Amino acid sequence: MEYKLDRNVHSLLDPRTKLLLLFTSSVFVVGNAGEKRMVVFYWILVYLPVLLLFVEKEWKAGLISVSIYVGSYFAQKALQHDLTALESALALMLYIITKILPTVILARYIVKTTKVSEFLTAMNRLHVTDKLTIPISVIFRFFPTVVEESRSINDAMRMRGVEMGAGKATEAVEYRMVPLIASCSIIGEELSAAAMTRGLDVGKKRSCIWDIRFGIFDFFIITLCLLCFIWWVIGRFCI
Amino acid sequence: MIRFKNVSFQYTKEQDSLKNIDLTINDGDVVLVCGPSGCGKSSLVRCVNGLIPHYYQGRMTGSVTVGETDVSKTTLRKLSRHVGTVFQNPRSQFFNVDTTSELAFGCENFGIEPRDIEQRINSVVNRHGLGKLMDRSIFKLSGGEKQKIACASIAVEPIDVVILDEPSANLDFAGVCELQRMIESWKEEHKTILIAEHRISYLFPYISRALLMNNGEIVKEFTAGEIRKLSEEELHGLGLRAEEMQDPTDISIDTKDAKKSDEKMVLSNMTYSYKGEQPVFDIPQMELPRGEIIGITGANGAGKSTFLRCLCGLERSCKAVLKIDNELWNNQMRLRNIYMVMQDVNHQLFTDSVLEEVMISQETEDREEALKILGSLDLKEYADKHPLSLSGGQKQRVAVASAIASGRNIILFDEPTSGLDYSHMLQVSELLKKLRDKGKTVIIVTHDIELIKNACTIVIPFARLKM
Amino acid sequence: MENNKRLNAKDLINVGIYTAICAVICCIVAMTGVIPIMMVLLVVFVPILTGIPYMLFLTKVKKFGMILILNVLMGALMWVTGMSYYALVVGALSGLIAEVIYRAGNYKSKKFGVIAYAISGIYCWANYFGIFFNAEAYFSTRQNFGQEYIDAVTKMLPGWMCPVLLVVDVLCGIIGGWIGTKVLKKHFEKAGIA
Repeated sequence: MEYKLDRNVHSLLDPRTKLLLLFTSSVFVVGNAGEKRMVVFYWILVYLPVLLLFVEKEWKAGLISVSIYVGSYFAQKALQHDLTALESALALMLYIITKILPTVILARYIVKTTKVSEFLTAMNRLHVTDKLTIPISVIFRFFPTVVEESRSINDAMRMRGVEMGAGKATEAVEYRMVPLIASCSIIGEELSAAAMTRGLDVGKKRSCIWDIRFGIFDFFIITLCLLCFIWWVIGRFCI
Repeated sequence: MIRFKNVSFQYTKEQDSLKNIDLTINDGDVVLVCGPSGCGKSSLVRCVNGLIPHYYQGRMTGSVTVGETDVSKTTLRKLSRHVGTVFQNPRSQFFNVDTTSELAFGCENFGIEPRDIEQRINSVVNRHGLGKLMDRSIFKLSGGEKQKIACASIAVEPIDVVILDEPSANLDFAGVCELQRMIESWKEEHKTILIAEHRISYLFPYISRALLMNNGEIVKEFTAGEIRKLSEEELHGLGLRAEEMQDPTDISIDTKDAKKSDEKMVLSNMTYSYKGEQPVFDIPQMELPRGEIIGITGANGAGKSTFLRCLCGLERSCKAVLKIDNELWNNQMRLRNIYMVMQDVNHQLFTDSVLEEVMISQETEDREEALKILGSLDLKEYADKHPLSLSGGQKQRVAVASAIASGRNIILFDEPTSGLDYSHMLQVSELLKKLRDKGKTVIIVTHDIELIKNACTIVIPFARLKM
Repeated sequence: MENNKRLNAKDLINVGIYTAICAVICCIVAMTGVIPIMMVLLVVFVPILTGIPYMLFLTKVKKFGMILILNVLMGALMWVTGMSYYALVVGALSGLIAEVIYRAGNYKSKKFGVIAYAISGIYCWANYFGIFFNAEAYFSTRQNFGQEYIDAVTKMLPGWMCPVLLVVDVLCGIIGGWIGTKVLKKHFEKAGIA
């Protein structure tokens, strides 16, 4: 079968929109700016990431996130008064989950649906310097590697019987950290050599095969984010 | 045209170096640079892609020119428009996470029109039948598939010089065949190709010359005809691999070395499947002889490594049981009684000295005993060295030393010779025999035919196991 | 050999890699932050544990800007994952100061390196600003933890604790940096990675 590259393959939203949404979410959901006044926006921002997961057909991840969120929200509501120390610790944990989970889902959505190449180009159009965008794209590329490496190291520790408990705590940390950092450092050296022989450099104009432009959904999301800020500013300074 | 004029180079960190290289490579030549590991072949090709002197620090004299450009006076970026490189390690050469963007990456960096890149990608993908690999995450690809993408992403770039730095190190038979097709198509496009390699027979149909290196110098030059005529012994004498291309599933070996003892262990209920997928293998019961060197062979990505992980008890979801001396070993028991030397040995070395590494494996620390073990593996002089500072083969021996120190009787090896040259492969093979002489049962998974022929006393094709 | 003063792709990729490692460590430590006492101890554990990758990172730093970028990215990551934006602001400032300090040591001196690390790590302390500067608002959104938790946290964190925590953070940074140099010497230098 003949392969044909489709340059129009991209997720629902433009990378720039995704970042604006992430920014808005961290201000209003995690940072809780505006509090009671923002309550409608708050709930939209909380459930929007899940909706995005469904759009990407990630049914399972979406359902799991919703149930964790709803579960901890109500559990937290139930744990309201006259708490013992243990209960309040639990309540705090649940609270943190309800605060952070939506943003974490959103961040995961962004990492999963944004190609490195799209990200570099979108940031370039926003005139963000390569000095930030290259490290950020490496971080995204590298998280899975760090996880992969630490899994193998963990396996090796189990196999050799030098896990936690066998020795002192310092050894448990040392045996885990040293091979991990060494391994990541070596992979990093090779990665930058490879990237540089393929012409990656700082501050040079690059092209992008992916067609990046704003669509109708970007318009909705951007409007939503702007409304959040406008409503918040009105509440803060005009009333 | 690539021209080396009296080039010498000395790294600040590593030992290898280049000495007085004079060399001219014409456009469209396919040149093999071969020699044992550490001979300087990688350094030589790094002078052409500019990693020397722009990336690796050191002292360089003489000059290298590619076309009209003096390598040391230009930048890596400018050079990258003419020279493309495929590296040895498929894990670390991708900047993108999805395969399609990776193919476009080089061209994007040059600022080529997206429509042109699109056409180039379409033509490369269709010519090499890579459609199935497009739009995938590189973290979900096997080593062979990654190497294919690495080659394809160089093929997309409009360059005239292709450099391959030990491209076959992690490839099996099928992977090498794919690599051959790639080289063939570059040759048809009249690109200049430079290949650093010690597995060489697969390259014979394409090369126009071969350079033999040793200690940083070019010691001999062969024409394509001359190197093809060298006998197996002569190649081995030069530190090169001589294996003929062969499908490892239909290999047969001489089993006269086998002890054929009656001692067996029985593995049962050996099944494993990734979440919601068909089982990778499903073995109700199999007998494994004890005290032998058992080679399990098969193609990359067939599940051989997973088989070893299950056998050694690392996969919790695998419920296999190993019956040995009327004892039944579950996962926990096997974890404590079977030792595995992993493919990436770096992951299993934890301490700051070789001696310490052996001692943490002992039930009760015994310095004398540990030194004795190191002595038996020619590691005594490295006792105080940091394990990670050793060469690949030495690291592997350290892992084996700690396996012996642990007193475990079954030792597993995952691809112990990938990327090793002939003499190092022989070392591994001797090591395996030593372990067998100590009464250990050794199980290796590998696609290295020379290793199988040299060391194994029993061969089990993995494909047959899966039934 | 290429333009020596300018950051090149290798430097930026290095920044990305070490930020990823530090972020993973922070993430693991921060998960324990739900226990009230651990929340205060973040300024102890994060600087001590990230010292190891950070000191290795410093051996790769030879140009102005790398420390600053790492700090800005760490601050941004903290902000997105639910700390306050103070981390970003303080991180940028402390990164700049650390940059100057490490440059004063010619990008070589380990003593300057340890100090630079200790200073740069104070973005961790900035995470508590919400509690100190704006305690009422901070707890108004956390009413439902029960008075006891609020009492527990406020008891541990009266106003004068703010400078104390800063001192603790810097001290732990020095300890972490010192451990980092030890590990560097014991492992990475011996192994030829540094």
